[in-house]
Amino acid sequence: MTKTAERRPIADAAVHPVPAPPPAGGRRRRRLLDQACAYAFLLGGLVCFALFSWYPAIRAVVIAFQKYTPGSKPQWVGTANFTRVLHDPEFGAAWRNTLTFTLLALLVGFAVPFLLALVLNELRHAKAFFRVVVYLPVMIPPVVSALLWKWFYDPGAGLANETLRFLHLPTSNWSNGTDTALISLVIVATWANMGGTVLIYLAALQSIPGELYEAAELDGANLLQRVRHVTVPQTRFVILMLMLLQIIATMQVFTEPFVITGGGPESATVTVLYLIYKYAFLYNDFGGACALSVMLLVLLGAFSALYLRLTRTEGDTA
Amino acid sequence: MSTRTLISPATLARPRGRAIYWTVFAAVVVLFALAFLFPVYWMVTGAMKSPDEVARTPPTLVPHDWHLGGYTDAWDLMQLPQHLGNTLVQAAGAWAFQLVFCTAAAYALSRLRPAFGKVILGGILATLMVPAQAMVVPKYLTVADLPLIHTSLLNDPLGIWLPAVANAFNLYLLKRFFDQLPREVMEAAEIDGAGRLRTLWSVVLPMSRPVLGVVSIFALVAVWQDFLWPLMVFSDTDKQPISVTLVQLSQNIQLTVLIAAMVIASIPMVALFLVFQRHIIAGISAGSTKG
Amino acid sequence: MRHTGFRRTFVAIGVCSSLALAASACGSGDGDTASGKTRITVNCEPPKSAKVDRRFFDDDTAAFEKQNPDIDVVAHDAFPCQDPKTFGAKLAGGQMEDVFYTYFTDARHVVDINQAADLTPYLKELKSYDTIQKQLRDIYTVDGKVYGIPRTGYSMGLIYNRKLFQKAGLDPDKPPATWEEVRADAKKIAALGDGTVGYADYSAQNQGGWHFTAELYSQGGDVVGADGKAGVDTPEGHAVLQNLHDMRWTDDSMGSKQLLIINDVQQMMGSGKLGMYLSAPDNIPILVKEKGGDYKDLALAPMPGGKGTLIGGDGYMFNKRDTPAQIRAGLKWLDHMFLTPGKGFLGDYARAKKNDAPVGLPEPRLFTGAADAKDQQVKKANANVPVKNYQAFLDGNQQLQMKIEPPDAQQIYSVLDSVVSAVLTKKDADIDQLLKEASAKIDSIPRS
Repeated sequence: MTKTAERRPIADAAVHPVPAPPPAGGRRRRRLLDQACAYAFLLGGLVCFALFSWYPAIRAVVIAFQKYTPGSKPQWVGTANFTRVLHDPEFGAAWRNTLTFTLLALLVGFAVPFLLALVLNELRHAKAFFRVVVYLPVMIPPVVSALLWKWFYDPGAGLANETLRFLHLPTSNWSNGTDTALISLVIVATWANMGGTVLIYLAALQSIPGELYEAAELDGANLLQRVRHVTVPQTRFVILMLMLLQIIATMQVFTEPFVITGGGPESATVTVLYLIYKYAFLYNDFGGACALSVMLLVLLGAFSALYLRLTRTEGDTA
Repeated sequence: MSTRTLISPATLARPRGRAIYWTVFAAVVVLFALAFLFPVYWMVTGAMKSPDEVARTPPTLVPHDWHLGGYTDAWDLMQLPQHLGNTLVQAAGAWAFQLVFCTAAAYALSRLRPAFGKVILGGILATLMVPAQAMVVPKYLTVADLPLIHTSLLNDPLGIWLPAVANAFNLYLLKRFFDQLPREVMEAAEIDGAGRLRTLWSVVLPMSRPVLGVVSIFALVAVWQDFLWPLMVFSDTDKQPISVTLVQLSQNIQLTVLIAAMVIASIPMVALFLVFQRHIIAGISAGSTKG
Repeated sequence: MRHTGFRRTFVAIGVCSSLALAASACGSGDGDTASGKTRITVNCEPPKSAKVDRRFFDDDTAAFEKQNPDIDVVAHDAFPCQDPKTFGAKLAGGQMEDVFYTYFTDARHVVDINQAADLTPYLKELKSYDTIQKQLRDIYTVDGKVYGIPRTGYSMGLIYNRKLFQKAGLDPDKPPATWEEVRADAKKIAALGDGTVGYADYSAQNQGGWHFTAELYSQGGDVVGADGKAGVDTPEGHAVLQNLHDMRWTDDSMGSKQLLIINDVQQMMGSGKLGMYLSAPDNIPILVKEKGGDYKDLALAPMPGGKGTLIGGDGYMFNKRDTPAQIRAGLKWLDHMFLTPGKGFLGDYARAKKNDAPVGLPEPRLFTGAADAKDQQVKKANANVPVKNYQAFLDGNQQLQMKIEPPDAQQIYSVLDSVVSAVLTKKDADIDQLLKEASAKIDSIPRS
């Protein structure tokens, strides 16, 4: 017994005196009590996770093999939902668009923020200003960004074509053209989301030790060589992480096509998530919607597993 | 931070280096102004133009006459106060629920060593691999008819609040933070005879202010910016948050009024950001270097 | 100590969750018999912004409750009454009102997904049922059972702006009767310049498919033939698309902005920048009241092409969870509100005229026989819109075949949407290829 035992207990010790530990079998009871207490703390979180994460995930897989209409008994239909979805003419388009969108977003969404971060890292003035401004679009609600760009893309009085006219360049259909619609949406998504990426790259660039650059310079490496041999290898891990995260995020793109193009023109911007939405709420075909969800889940689950694995191993070594 | 970067200070000190530096600096300032600030300016002023002027080609940089009609119409016609209120209630509730339940669960997982704690944590982390949006349909069916108790949370803020608690990212963030708290402090409290709740309340939480701030901001922003989920949950127009209302009404309202409503809808989050910009930016930058 | 901490947490969490459950349980009220009254929820109450209509609706509902003290009607407003974005979610989530508004095209689908109550045993409660046109009643009849009650019908025509016709040197009393004439007139109107568009059409949100269907009917074609096979890859289908393509690209008379939806086009018409577009008569008051148009400039011609026209409309269906008492109450309410000639929300023409609401628009007739005669007579007596502007439409409709929309309309429209949007946004669109693909896609739609 140390001095601490003599301290005046806080809380309402007077009301509930601490029972003396019973001599035998007490330990088990205490452990039970401890467990009960731990689970009391866990309860709320556990219930929510069970209801809104684990159960729906299992249910998606189950419904994918059922003909399911809310309010009536589900029937097992085997893989009929999958065959039906696979034969849907929009199925191919949706996957093609989603993958193209992801790829374009990766190219644009990696190159632009990385270059910006490189340049910003060299600037020694107005640092805070740049950081705030680049992150500003992230704080604008996505729906507002989408509506704003929809207005820019208006082929008539939209700002995009007005600018082109002002510069005497040929105008474009932007989100109204089958060939340009997807890239138009990628521009919106990049504009709206790149702030975070830039900031993360900046942080990564700042953690590169200056000696490495000095050593490279002494070896006679010019600017581009320094970027290639010092900057990129030093930030490779962050680049990879962000790419994976971005793939996972852009594969689930919905708001931009829904608000700006409504999936058109000619299904050029229907994404997988959009198709899931259509199946569920336009066709009331929940089996088909869940079959699609399961496909998306498997693919994205693979990417996420890769991401978690990489962060794990890196975390262990770092 | 005066470490050397890609370009050596010596290079920058030379006259030529300095000239190039200032040229690049000016170019970046102009680029940022055009790319990020101008669209915002265009939106704010666009709402002040007359309906004819907005549709005019070529467009006017500065409104000819300033109308506030767009803003007042948006406020009244689109019932913005009500929808902003809805969004606020939804975001605040989601924030409160997340703080209470996620903190309690994270504390339990971190400190109270529940049986199967590892399994539970694994299950929670596994949900990180399940993309939220892809699960939206089964989640909707669950919320429409909760298992066992057969109630529906549709058209009810609870349909936003409770699913928000199932946020593995925030829970994990909290747990990791609690893991790093010094043991001695807690043990001292234990020996003082403080109960679990009291330890959490008067020892752990005061030390966790930074992480609670980050989680709070994430929670608020997530609900405020969400669109697909509230679109499904609230079929009742009077209960919809601002983002859903904007899209629903965007097809049938004058452009100037719509733009004004867009500006009003953006103000709360942008203001929040400007007030807490330091913390938010520091949080993002810090969260990157060490996963 | 430990106890207290633990107990408090437990209680706190318990309270939280039970509160949550209590709140949610109380949140979803069910419209059963409360205090001995039968309570029904109905939707499609006009929104607050439509002041006059809303007052009519609420007054009529109040009068109904006065006559039937044992019935309590709770009206929900929504705009539009049937929003495709949330309609399916509402149905699936059990959030639909007891008596709910549907388009003709929804009828079959709602029955298929087993969300509609069978009204057949209760029809004797609905006094007016036999006075409604059989063709419209059949829309809500599936396998011999009645699942809904039609409320209004429309048929598609061509709205045109008399002022622009005059300006372009065309005779406003001679609207185009064929698609060739539509094209020629559109070219002349677009030549006025200053952003004037000759002819506009939809190409997004399934509305492009809807209009393609109407245009196909007008040429005598059919989206889905009697054999259940797609009928779009036909000479008629080609003619529709070729015509749109030529107006858009050869004549440039459709404006540069495409992927339009109904509201965009109404905006154009209301601001006097558009010559013609296809629409039902019900667009005219919207153009005047909300988009700044003027009755005297807006005229209605029959569907060009002279073969057929698309008819559509709306009606109310009943939730399958309704109790027999609720179904009876709902039918009574429908009778009172919409199905009494010369009375109620739609039929009280005298009241509408007093409040400057439009009377005399050329809607297709809902009733037959004596009910129809009475309805027409009251309408004529109170007409306050320039009826002569719509005479051509009424006369022309006599010669047209009235065709309802195809089964699985929304899915077919979604396929055709991409065809129409391709033609209107791509100069070198391959019409043959597009129609071939669309035809295959329509044939692959799983028939419910």
